[in-house]
Amino acid sequence: MKVEIDSFSGYRIYPSKGKLFVRGDSKVFRFATSKNASLFLQRKNPRKIAWTQVYRRMHKKGVTEEVAKKRSRRTVKHQRGIVGADLATIAARRNQTAAERQKQRLAAISKAKTEKKEKESKKAKPVTRANVPSGPKISKQQMKGGKGGR
Amino acid sequence: MIGLKSTLNVIDNSGALLVECVNILKQKVNNGWGSVGDEIVCVVKRARPVSVAAQASVTAVKVRKGDVRRAVIVRTRKSVRRPDGRIIRFDDNAAVLLNNKREMLGTRIGGVVSADLRMKGWSKIVSLAPKTV
Repeated sequence: MKVEIDSFSGYRIYPSKGKLFVRGDSKVFRFATSKNASLFLQRKNPRKIAWTQVYRRMHKKGVTEEVAKKRSRRTVKHQRGIVGADLATIAARRNQTAAERQKQRLAAISKAKTEKKEKESKKAKPVTRANVPSGPKISKQQMKGGKGGR
Repeated sequence: MIGLKSTLNVIDNSGALLVECVNILKQKVNNGWGSVGDEIVCVVKRARPVSVAAQASVTAVKVRKGDVRRAVIVRTRKSVRRPDGRIIRFDDNAAVLLNNKREMLGTRIGGVVSADLRMKGWSKIVSLAPKTV
């Protein structure tokens, strides 16, 4: 089924409706109603007749809703947790003051230092012990009465 | 709706320009009125002037003012309803001249013709026409 367009008013013409007019210059015009045909044959300008589609399109009638809808979407900022840090911890971090942060940092540093010192002291003892020989400097052969110590 | 004294434009190159209908050849139901595809008898009212060169050649068909010829109607101002429901109307009445064997006198057709001609057995005219509606 082919729906034609009225050449005067722009209305739709369904099959078996309307009239087809072939002008002397073999141009084809289709009219939905006798009103359209009559106005066309009176050589009226559809741009000056308020109810035609051409006029309505020219004067932007009946398209206000579409224009309002066409506005672009704005991006919305949203906070949420990421891997290894949920929203609560991030918020806590963000809300603490610089002084507090400094204090925490110093505490962390001092803690690390003491830990390191303790480690050092623990480590140092076995190393010193290893360096001190426990007996006279003789080889195993000497101990057995061999010739090694000559 | 062609009847006695109706004038029609001739849209072939036979030489005639305007013809006046003097008789509609009878069909089963035309009620004395001719429509697209009907044969008529007509008088040539206005013709293109025949030049001397054209007169000399043997093959040239000479159509002059006052000649009585047969013709077939190809367009009508009266609106015609097609089987599919659409209604078609042309701006003028037009015809194509024929000889006594129902063949075209001219060799070319200039202008639209109605598509109803094919239905009525004038497909030769339809095929020669630049446009059918």
